[in-house]
Amino acid sequence: MSQFGRRIGTRSEGEAAREVVLAALGNLPPDGQLRISLNGLEVLSGSFADESIGKSYQALVSGLHEGRTMVVETPSLELTEGLADKLTQRRLAMLCLHDGQWVVLGQLAEPHQETLQLIVDRGSTTAKALADTLAIPANACHQRLKRLVELRLVLQERTGGTAPKTQYLFHSIL
Amino acid sequence: MDLTIERVEELLRFVDDGAPSRLDLSAVRFADPYGLLLLDLLIHHRADSGAPLRVAWPTHPAVAGWMRAMGLHADLKGTGTTRPPRVEAALQPIARIEEESEVVDLVNAFDARLAARYPLDDSPRMTLVRIMIELFQNIPQHSNATGTAPNPHGVAAMQDYGDGIFLAIADKGVGLRASLSVRDDEPIDTDAAALDAVVLRGLSRFKDPGRGQELTRIYKMVRSWDSTIAVRTGDALLTHDPVRGGEIRDVAFFPGVQIALVIPRQVFGIPEVDADRDPVFNELDE
Repeated sequence: MSQFGRRIGTRSEGEAAREVVLAALGNLPPDGQLRISLNGLEVLSGSFADESIGKSYQALVSGLHEGRTMVVETPSLELTEGLADKLTQRRLAMLCLHDGQWVVLGQLAEPHQETLQLIVDRGSTTAKALADTLAIPANACHQRLKRLVELRLVLQERTGGTAPKTQYLFHSIL
Repeated sequence: MDLTIERVEELLRFVDDGAPSRLDLSAVRFADPYGLLLLDLLIHHRADSGAPLRVAWPTHPAVAGWMRAMGLHADLKGTGTTRPPRVEAALQPIARIEEESEVVDLVNAFDARLAARYPLDDSPRMTLVRIMIELFQNIPQHSNATGTAPNPHGVAAMQDYGDGIFLAIADKGVGLRASLSVRDDEPIDTDAAALDAVVLRGLSRFKDPGRGQELTRIYKMVRSWDSTIAVRTGDALLTHDPVRGGEIRDVAFFPGVQIALVIPRQVFGIPEVDADRDPVFNELDE
């Protein structure tokens, strides 16, 4: 993001930056991940963040480039406040790497965060294994996973079976 | 008479009631950036409307000098000024906000002027920069949302006082109610309702869920800093200060949106100074 300046910026400038973000997403391999670095920034306004990152992420969640993911890397969580607010307004959630840890920016309910934590810890897992660990019914677990997959916070891989008994493996994107 | 958040209303009511051709400001003893910008826009508004005001300027040398140093006369002549003020007490003269592409440079200039005067803590400093980016860009983005404002004209200015940093941003565009009128699903009948909708509820003229809520966030942020905030549009004024709390009240009509933030010095890690040791107050309290 620092290619756009140290203190960014207005909506129009964010709109121009979105073209760059979407082009970078389009150039990734089918399972590629775009890491957006906030290093070198002093200020990231909510308007710029929404136009450049929020709207790009909205496009991804709406079905653009299935299999590709986006993650933010930041030297300070304060820099992400405007982005987090805008993602919340859009009812989206993104993974953000900070100081060797990950956090969720935006809106993600606590049960979904709990499930996401388990997937990140395990790297890959199944719905049954998650339901057993979380001690929740399979249906509830499937609902949580559906939302996490929709939000591109985890990736699902079909491993066998046929509908309605299709089997999936769920992968952490980190 | 003072030209401050509270007292400038008397001036606007006087002009709104009687449509006078002459404005006597000779007795003005104090003006803050918000009062200064409203005066600037009022004079422009009357000139644009074909009913120019003749002004008797303040006779108090400190007030007259500060107004000049803040670039009031240059802005009224349309010449503007980018030069640092000659009077040390003036912090950031009136700057016009016209193009969105100029906003970040303008914000950086405001920040640089403040940082040159005080060592500032990084975190609140960058938060103020973020606030200014949002407020300044609102002028090119929203002040002529309906395309009906003949001259939406946006300005900003900043001044330091013994207890706080005073930032004012103002335009004489279409105002919040007209801006919201482009939505057909949220009928807003009054300016007070528009203030409530935009500042307190985060409504935007856009249906895109990512738009709006910036004024709401700024309102909450400055409240958390124990700051004073005023947002004026049309015939309604929302004020909030740590002592009296918040209220929206009816005022005389004036077009556009005008905003004042008074942020305590300690937010930025700057020690407060007694009024009688502050060069500005020394001059004005003679």
